[in-house]
Amino acid sequence: MVHSSLRGFRGSIPQNHGVSTASGPTKAQRQAEQRARQLEAFKKKEAAQRRNRLLGIGLSVVGLLAVVAVVVTVIVVNTQPKPDNSALLGNVVTFPNVEAGHVEGTVDYPMSPPAGGPHNPVWLNCGVYDQPVPNENAVHDLEHGAVWITYRPDLPASDVDTLKALTPSTYAVLSPYEGLDAAVAISAWGAQLKVSDPADPALQAFIDTYWKSADAPEPGAPCTGGLDAPGKE
Amino acid sequence: MNRARLVAAAVAVAVLLGAGGFLVGRFSSPAPVAPAGTSAAAGFLRDMQVHHAQAVDMAMTIRDISADPDLRRLAYDIALGQSNQAGQMYGLLESWGLSQASSQPPMAWMSQPVLDGSDGGHGHAAAPDGTMPGLATTEQLAQLRAATGVEAEKLFLTLMIEHHRGGLEMAEGALARTTVPQVVSMAKGIIVAQQADIDAMQQLLAELE
Repeated sequence: MVHSSLRGFRGSIPQNHGVSTASGPTKAQRQAEQRARQLEAFKKKEAAQRRNRLLGIGLSVVGLLAVVAVVVTVIVVNTQPKPDNSALLGNVVTFPNVEAGHVEGTVDYPMSPPAGGPHNPVWLNCGVYDQPVPNENAVHDLEHGAVWITYRPDLPASDVDTLKALTPSTYAVLSPYEGLDAAVAISAWGAQLKVSDPADPALQAFIDTYWKSADAPEPGAPCTGGLDAPGKE
Repeated sequence: MNRARLVAAAVAVAVLLGAGGFLVGRFSSPAPVAPAGTSAAAGFLRDMQVHHAQAVDMAMTIRDISADPDLRRLAYDIALGQSNQAGQMYGLLESWGLSQASSQPPMAWMSQPVLDGSDGGHGHAAAPDGTMPGLATTEQLAQLRAATGVEAEKLFLTLMIEHHRGGLEMAEGALARTTVPQVVSMAKGIIVAQQADIDAMQQLLAELE
């Protein structure tokens, strides 16, 4: 209470620089007040400018952040992590324009194992075989979008297990292959890869790219209800 | 100073308008946004193709064995219906540019957290060996192929009821984990159709026993 009343009292005292008169402030007093007002106005203006400058910077930063956020959002939302396997698939051999007719009897294929071409009307049931399977029936599976994993018959059992783990549960055939010129060959319709190591990551990359490929003539046509060749597990 | 402020404000407003317009355009455009390759939607579409393929195989097998017209018609329905549906799943993945093969083990998508958070946000453990619910074993399939007459019909119905129950579980799992419209509508359709199939098969099984 004391403070506030003191302040009020002091505020009412004229600031006398010269002789006080009853009629009002002197010229010197008026000039001093004017200077004080000008100084105050100048400080206010300066503060406003500083505020506006900060506001401008703030808005720009917000705008920039918004743009960055939008770009990041769009990239994240649209990213399609289809694996880029091109580096692993450099050794894939492709056979464009392989023919797809149905024929009885044996076919002399230009590649071994065959990766497309004329084939038996009856497709091979997909799955794991521990004996060689007939080429003409297996090629029919490739036409239906399957991959055919073949291995040299003398491959150690542990390596065969590695290949079994790799083999998809549908649309895939695993079988030994007499006279294979590599440890493992994986074939799809019109494409083939041979590797020396059954654990080569290129095999999985081949499956990611060619298993049930839309480039096969009839992906999704059956891989069951056909021929069960001997040696099917 | 005033002009610099105006310019800064104008730039900020232009940038915000541009960003806002882009967002509105992006999310209202008819081009659908593809789900990620590791999404529950993609996982469901891949695994359900495998699941459906076995149903088609079993239905075709019993249609070859059985002479019962009701059972043969049901098998025809299952084989063609699920074959068509598997093709739709294949087509959706293709249209999104996603690989048909998964970088994850089968059923991994079912261990992803559900959208409503009822699992505490950490999902359920999928079957460790990646087996799908309801799938018949290789031995059961061989038994079915070797069976004849009423025995074959009973075995088929028993296996297919289990198979469809597993299908329901997967479809419900997808519904709980995705909002991708095509997958939501497909999963809902599967639940309706396979529940109806289960009812019909239970009735057929009761008549045989």
